Amino acid sequence: MNIHFRTLGVWAAGSLLGLAWAARATALSDEDFNAMKEQLTRQAQRIEQLEKLQAAPTNTAGVVQPIHPMPPVGLGATHNFLMVGDAEVQFRRVEGQHGAFTLADFAPIFLYRASDNVLFEAGFDIRLQNGSTSLLNGRTHDSGAQTSIGLSFAQLDYLLNDYVTIVAGDMVLPLGTYSERAAGWLNKIPNDPLPRDLLPGSGIGVQLRGTIPLDMSGQLFSYAVYGVNGPSSMDGSGAATTLDAGSNAVPNLDLGGNVGLQSDGTTGNLHGSPSGGGRLGWFIPWKAHYDLELGVSGQSGTWDDAGNRRWSAGVLDAALHLSPYFEVKGEYIETRQETDDVGTLRPRGYWIQVAYKLAGLDLDLPLINDLELVNRYDVLDDDMGTKTHRYTVGYVYYFSNTLLFEGDYNFVHSDDPAQAHNDVVFQLAYGF
Amino acid sequence: MKRVRSLNARGWGIVAWAATVVILASMIIVARAGDGKAGQSKALTGEDLYKISCNRCHAERYAREFTPAQWQTLMTHMRVRGNLPATQTKKILKYLQEESGN
Ligand code: HEC
Repeated sequence: MNIHFRTLGVWAAGSLLGLAWAARATALSDEDFNAMKEQLTRQAQRIEQLEKLQAAPTNTAGVVQPIHPMPPVGLGATHNFLMVGDAEVQFRRVEGQHGAFTLADFAPIFLYRASDNVLFEAGFDIRLQNGSTSLLNGRTHDSGAQTSIGLSFAQLDYLLNDYVTIVAGDMVLPLGTYSERAAGWLNKIPNDPLPRDLLPGSGIGVQLRGTIPLDMSGQLFSYAVYGVNGPSSMDGSGAATTLDAGSNAVPNLDLGGNVGLQSDGTTGNLHGSPSGGGRLGWFIPWKAHYDLELGVSGQSGTWDDAGNRRWSAGVLDAALHLSPYFEVKGEYIETRQETDDVGTLRPRGYWIQVAYKLAGLDLDLPLINDLELVNRYDVLDDDMGTKTHRYTVGYVYYFSNTLLFEGDYNFVHSDDPAQAHNDVVFQLAYGF
Repeated sequence: MKRVRSLNARGWGIVAWAATVVILASMIIVARAGDGKAGQSKALTGEDLYKISCNRCHAERYAREFTPAQWQTLMTHMRVRGNLPATQTKKILKYLQEESGN
């Protein structure tokens, strides 16, 4: 019986205690619960605020008022930096001379993208060449090594909208397509076509360019208009030739030397006015790897110091692809140079290049499939009595898409005996 | 005498170019006419455009060679240098970024 009562006592006490606890719990949920809820809500809000601040650092601009506009998005230009470019090693032997290896070029390209629509691009050509030492007997001889660094282009591109890009700086000029589409790993022949000597490769100024799709099939119309300092005169006059230090008559036209900053540090055009130019292009693909592109371009402006003589150039370019294996392209270049002494000169020329990738034959031979055969015919008439024809046969062996080995034989015919030497060139080129 | 000769040479140059252009243009018009539907009805995809554009000035560069961020910089460069329209550039960029595998 005793035991019975004890059990009952413990049970009663337990129930009471349970009731008491339950009562306590109910009391907490009413007052403290609300307080805790409020506290939690406030904390959640603070966390949210902190997260927002961290996600968009530009919001801190509210705290520190910037003087200049902040960069548009994310990381700055230095973080969207990319170095690409190419390098070439060459072996060349000219008929009647010793063959030699050369590091033809190390050509890095720096790309900095500041935002979705601003890109700065600069390309260099770094070469090693002999120096020239003057000897006691009055002659000079090649000796020593010099590194030359050339700026090929350094331009700022601003993509204004879908149809207009503004370019400023030292620009590769859209005169024909050769200069704009050249690099060691994409040229199929190491040396440039002869008539390209008639045109400036780059120019300092501004350019507007853009491309407009013409229909759903991928046809494109592209345009470029530009103003640059233009060519200048070696001796300042409008004479066709001038005498160099060795009393040799050399062409007076200087296509690349009017860079706006003069030797004494002053700025200015070497003559009165800049030159204007542009290109219109039409690209017609009809399926992948089958397309035709046609272009017409030109530039005109004065070249002598007095600004009386005009230099103009006109270029027609075309490129055709029939299958992934076959390509024909070429340019016709005509220039007009008004002179003081010999009237208007019309130096001109053209080049045409045909290439065929043997993979198109579908032979089951690995070596053959990586080989491309190339032919080029180029002609240059300087309209001062020298006409040069060159025929090139060669091949490109692709170790990969950007590592290639080229071999070419050039047959040269020229009115100028100094130029009429055949030569053989081998080149290893790598694009990175 | 010399002028006449050079005029002749120039004349022939122009004629040769004009003839080439006319012949090629006509070949293409014919090929396109035969190819009727070639892309006319549906818009070209990023991959189609990559195949059309990225192998014509140089050997094609594979998506896996660069990271998505690098592709954005490169495609801006190619848009300007390679005369690509904005709409195509965006599609090709998306395709390359998706395929870059990085
Ligand atoms: C109209 C000619 C042209 C077309 C079309 C073109 N490229 Fe290029 N590309 C070039 C030239 C020229 C270079 C090398 C010189 C340079 O970069 O300035 C180059 C270089 C490159 C490089 C190497 C890095 C560099 O900048 O040198 C990559 C990668 C590249 N192109 C990708 C592409 C892709 C992807 C496409 C297709 C959307 C394309 N290219 C279409 C002309 C072209």
